[in-house]
Amino acid sequence: MSTATAAETTTTVDRKPLGQQLVRIMTTTDHKLIGKMYLVTSFAWFMIGGLMAMVIRSELAFPGNQLVNDELYNQLFTMHGTIMLLLFATPLFFGFANVIMPIQIGSPDVAFPRLNMFSYWLFLFGGLIAASGFLTPQGAADFGWFAYTPLSDAVRSPGVGGDLWIMGLWMAGFGTILGAVNFITTIICMRAPGMTMFRMPIFVWNTLITSMLVLMAFPILAGALLSLEADRLLGAHVFDPSHGGPILWQHLFWFFGHPEVYIIALPFFGIVSEILPVFSRKPIFGYVGLVGATLAIAVLSVAVWAHHMFVTGAVDLPFFSGMTFLIAVPTGVKFFNWIGTMWGGSLSFDTPMLWTIGFLTTFLFGGLTGVILASPPLNFHVSDSYFVVAHFHYVVFGTVVFAMFAGFYFWWPKLTGRMLNERLGKLHFWLLFVGFHTTFLVQHWLGVEGMPRRYADYMPWDGFTTLNQVSTIGAFLLGASTLPFLYNVFITRKAPLVNVDDPWGWGRSLEWATSSPPPRHNFVSIPRIRSESPAFDLHHPEIAMLELHENDAERRGDVADAPNVDGRAETLTARIEGDLVDGDTESHADRAAEQNDNEGDAR
Amino acid sequence: MKQETGMFLISSVFLAMVSGIYWFMSGDWTGTSALTMATLLTGMVAAYLGVHAAKMDPRPEDRKDGDIADGAGELGFFPPYSWWPLWCALTLSICVFAIAMSAWWLLIIGGVAGMLTLSGWVFEYYRGEHAH
Repeated sequence: MSTATAAETTTTVDRKPLGQQLVRIMTTTDHKLIGKMYLVTSFAWFMIGGLMAMVIRSELAFPGNQLVNDELYNQLFTMHGTIMLLLFATPLFFGFANVIMPIQIGSPDVAFPRLNMFSYWLFLFGGLIAASGFLTPQGAADFGWFAYTPLSDAVRSPGVGGDLWIMGLWMAGFGTILGAVNFITTIICMRAPGMTMFRMPIFVWNTLITSMLVLMAFPILAGALLSLEADRLLGAHVFDPSHGGPILWQHLFWFFGHPEVYIIALPFFGIVSEILPVFSRKPIFGYVGLVGATLAIAVLSVAVWAHHMFVTGAVDLPFFSGMTFLIAVPTGVKFFNWIGTMWGGSLSFDTPMLWTIGFLTTFLFGGLTGVILASPPLNFHVSDSYFVVAHFHYVVFGTVVFAMFAGFYFWWPKLTGRMLNERLGKLHFWLLFVGFHTTFLVQHWLGVEGMPRRYADYMPWDGFTTLNQVSTIGAFLLGASTLPFLYNVFITRKAPLVNVDDPWGWGRSLEWATSSPPPRHNFVSIPRIRSESPAFDLHHPEIAMLELHENDAERRGDVADAPNVDGRAETLTARIEGDLVDGDTESHADRAAEQNDNEGDAR
Repeated sequence: MKQETGMFLISSVFLAMVSGIYWFMSGDWTGTSALTMATLLTGMVAAYLGVHAAKMDPRPEDRKDGDIADGAGELGFFPPYSWWPLWCALTLSICVFAIAMSAWWLLIIGGVAGMLTLSGWVFEYYRGEHAH
């Protein structure tokens, strides 16, 4: 009896009233909470976009009109693309970078906490405005997510849905630009002492380079969108066909659009680069090579935009084809390094690792079809067919979704203090993996056989029925795979707290050297940083010493494809012999709880 | 700070090369302008960081032997919480929504409210010039 009462009292004390929680969410400047809000919101958009995809696939399951009319179908594929690219994948990067990056560089917060919150609100409200077109009489935007002119002008796409789409995306994109400025400033100015550039985790490098790419790409989108809106509202003639406006729009849009693909890919490359060493029990292979490859992909991606415009006949084929082939080289370097990290390691197939390997296989297929599409003679045959649809779903789903779930399972204890259920995680993975490949593998053949993308219907004698039905079944399996994940989140909401800094045991970067979840300003104390893996050096100095002995060039500071480790051997020796006691060897959880209590009182 | 400069400098040099090559291969104004602007953007950041890197001693985070204690002291000002980002974003949403709906009267209301909320944000922690 008395025990029960005691337990009840504890729960009521722990949980604040709903009003206070809402105020905290609306006014917070804590990068971790803002990051979690980004993650939750973008995941909600992911599910909305996914439901749209299932409606699209249902419509295509049989010849004839089943579920939606042609207009609604156009709105659905337009908003599916818009939501998945700009309201799911891009803010998902901001979610992960916000939650993890400041902790990985040993910073108490981002450089501009209020601007960070502002960016989130711009994304949320901008997204709602863009999607609110569904509530208008003429429906949402229906000109495809790349809004080619003259289709998207006021004559051919009347209705306020298009205007809401343009202005909403402008606003969300504005938030993206501000967020990128915030990340760049944070990484350049707020690293912990000793955290030199070549000791930063790969995820931080990728966040920095992605943010630079955002600064190059998103202002162009903002300008193009406002010009389009001026055409629609004020009768400006920026994209007037009489002086080549449509090609101008395509240039501007793809000058944003192609870097955008890498904006949503590079951070997720960073996530898998964090996970592979932990579950291979080996340091990352080819650290400098990975950094160089990321930078190479980023700058090359600015110079390949018109491979989306091969069939216009108005672009320089050798230049864009060559540049696009070149991107395969740094991407290959990354694959080489990821496989090198696993090579000879002691692999453990926990859920994060499983998702990472799912990423490697899926993205590899997307990369290979990308090389095919980069060749103009092949591109002409399959352009605007389902082959392209299959290609980019392999690329972006392979990176964003697989790496997102890898990151969720990996960092869940750091975000919430609790582990997700491994068994449900594996069920989730296999359902999604099989569902995804069933949906999209057959679409390659549909495209080669000539099924065009974005058509609401096909004829029974076209011969597309069987493959479309396979694809639709896969899509529903894929959609159903989200259920085990949601159930997993639900049942582990009261799972026992991990109460340790590093529940995986082999965590390397700095986020594993603070409590789970971390205190308000992230660290009670930071260990000395002498390598890219300060948490590992702190928790396992003996094994880190063995690693160092395996790498002569790295240890001596000769030219090596490795992070900077000056002074690492001395620090490790001092820790092994007990001369150096740093970091926080006591229980973080107790101190963090204490600190949170104090903060609560102060409020 | 030198490595940060280097990253932006490499990007700028590469983009400058590509801009030239692209211009000679295609003669396309749009793409060349965009590439040139990207060159200038990365070049501007590189120049800014480079000038500051040259003027200052290496910071603790630039030094391979930097110790956590070297960074001791006040790191900066971190607002504990703030209502203003929400108000500013809401007023901007009103403006954006007004433009999309061509409701110019609403744009005026949003604009005025925007000036108030922006002032609220700027002066939230204002205590007088250089008083922090």
